Amino acid sequence: MSAVERPVQVVPKPPGKGAPLVVVEDIAKVFDVSPPWLNRVIERKPRTLLRAVDGVSFEIARGETLALVGESGCGKSTVARMMVGLYAPSRGRVVFDGTDLSALGTAAGKPLRSKLQMIFQDPYASLNPRWKVADIIAEPIRVHRLIDGDAAILARVAELLRHVGLAPADAEKYPHQFSGGQRQRLSIARALASQPTFLVCDEPTSALDVSVQAQVLNLMRDIQREDGLTYLFISHNLAVVHHVSDRVGVMYLGRIVELADKTTLFATPRHPYTRMLLDAIPDMQMTGKARTPVAGEVPNPLNPPTGCTFHPRCPLANERCKAERPLLRRLDDGAQVACHAVEEGRG
Amino acid sequence: MNAPAPLLEVRHLRVEFPTRRGTLVAIDDVSFDIAPGEVLGVVGESGAGKSITGAAIIGLLEPPGRIAGGEILLSGRRIDNLEPAQMRRVRGKEVGAIFQDPLTSLNPLYTVGRQLVETIQTHLDLTASQARTRAVDLLKSTGIPAAEERIDHYPHQFSGGMRQRVVIALALAAEPRLIVADEPTTALDVSIQAQIIALIKRLCREHGTSVMLVTHDMGVIAETADRVAVMYAGRIAEIGPVADVIHKPKHPYTIGLMGSIPTVGQDRERLAQIDGSMPRLNAIPKGCAFNPRCPKVFATCRERRPDLLAAGTSLAACWLHDASVAKEAA
Repeated sequence: MSAVERPVQVVPKPPGKGAPLVVVEDIAKVFDVSPPWLNRVIERKPRTLLRAVDGVSFEIARGETLALVGESGCGKSTVARMMVGLYAPSRGRVVFDGTDLSALGTAAGKPLRSKLQMIFQDPYASLNPRWKVADIIAEPIRVHRLIDGDAAILARVAELLRHVGLAPADAEKYPHQFSGGQRQRLSIARALASQPTFLVCDEPTSALDVSVQAQVLNLMRDIQREDGLTYLFISHNLAVVHHVSDRVGVMYLGRIVELADKTTLFATPRHPYTRMLLDAIPDMQMTGKARTPVAGEVPNPLNPPTGCTFHPRCPLANERCKAERPLLRRLDDGAQVACHAVEEGRG
Repeated sequence: MNAPAPLLEVRHLRVEFPTRRGTLVAIDDVSFDIAPGEVLGVVGESGAGKSITGAAIIGLLEPPGRIAGGEILLSGRRIDNLEPAQMRRVRGKEVGAIFQDPLTSLNPLYTVGRQLVETIQTHLDLTASQARTRAVDLLKSTGIPAAEERIDHYPHQFSGGMRQRVVIALALAAEPRLIVADEPTTALDVSIQAQIIALIKRLCREHGTSVMLVTHDMGVIAETADRVAVMYAGRIAEIGPVADVIHKPKHPYTIGLMGSIPTVGQDRERLAQIDGSMPRLNAIPKGCAFNPRCPKVFATCRERRPDLLAAGTSLAACWLHDASVAKEAA
């Protein structure tokens, strides 16, 4: 991967109302998955690098929900983790409200940390089973010293529990006493405890049953309205994405292949991969239209195809697609698509 | 449904789990049929008892779970009270199984071919080389490229979607008349899911196999099933032709369930919401199990449990469909 041109402009500070809350500039994450040193020396095995995310850029406006959608291994969760500083980008940067997130680990970044929160997929693994709910939810408040005095903190915990549709008395319980949907409400209450402006939700409803999923999605929407939150919503489920998002980015093998308004993306999907994903949604209306399941599977990200990484599965691929990596290009209606076929009008 | 004699008949099935703190009734008085060549979808949320129903049919209930009542008949012959050795002959030969996680349903220490050949030779009277030829044919029919080479690979050398194809090949190895597929696509990505659904549909049509498709995914049911049974707290809440259950649900639970599913191409401010969650097995309410969450609940619902009643082309276990009782409520 030769040097890709990187924007090096200074981001205007302090941003006004119209400026995006989050600006992501060409971030990449490379994991070193090489065999152990001894094996490399004795068996002459080379270093192995996994490019989980390879040059992703987007912006999220205040109060907006951007959804990233894609199949397993497309890098969507890695992006989510870079957005809250759980991973440091190998390249590029994330700018939150005018501040570079690389400052997150330093003293200067401390106020920032309370503004970014994350909700994880598995409500069974993301809550400490030995802590009472009150302690789980109060932790961010105590860490950031947002409220002084135990009584005031408990009052705030009770308020948060009511906010997510649980009872203040639940504060004395342990996580195992709750169902999956209730636990996800606890995760949301904990995330809201530090009064964030930006929530990163990594598959927040994938582990839940549909009726419980509806409860959690409705709750997230209500909270967004009331608290003016901005969401980055990660999901593999296009129907859920259609319900929650304002804009949608489709990821494939570490890159965004299409980024557009929700209505544009679902009405006129441009990229062959987006079309394939939309085609693969089971047809609940039962119109009986024949689906054309696209052959093949996501390639091994350790050894991605050349050029456009989708070309082995793409019905429109030609020689150019095999050789040259397409860049995201903005179309007339604002949609951004990385596809030679779309650019040339072959689709 | 006065079609030919059903292939599978489940009559008043009751499954219990004896525990130290009392007996839990996981399946309570469940009855349904599957006709030859028919795909019956069984949907429900976690803990509704859909997987346990499937496990009871293939005789793989996890102890201490046991069938405590009712009967299961395959082509008119009872299979719920067979000795384990006899049941092993039925399983694989007459009833095949596909499970959710393709990695745990394959033995990681044996090549795919060895597992297929073993299954084929257990049930069919074939020589080793004939069995191997058949195994290659099976792998080819499930869409595995280069089947002649792949047959000597180990399960870890296959991707998730390819592994599930191998599991389907295994389930079809002895040409069973019924396949119980428990969440066959849940562990797979959407694009692979579509391929596997298409594969199961095609193979079952070609072989005339009946399928009991257990899943929580209404979309998969809509694509695949002829009829669908909706389960709630160990019982069938509604059963009927798939289009009717999806578009004209009769049971309040099914109505709520359908409304809670987000769909593409339909802009809704909010999803329909069923408050609360399914009761635990040790706390199933008196009367209709759904009554605490039901928007249309009335006195009778809290006292007496409804049986499946005719509601249009479906059957729904709801007092609203009993004219005399519903009149009291109004």
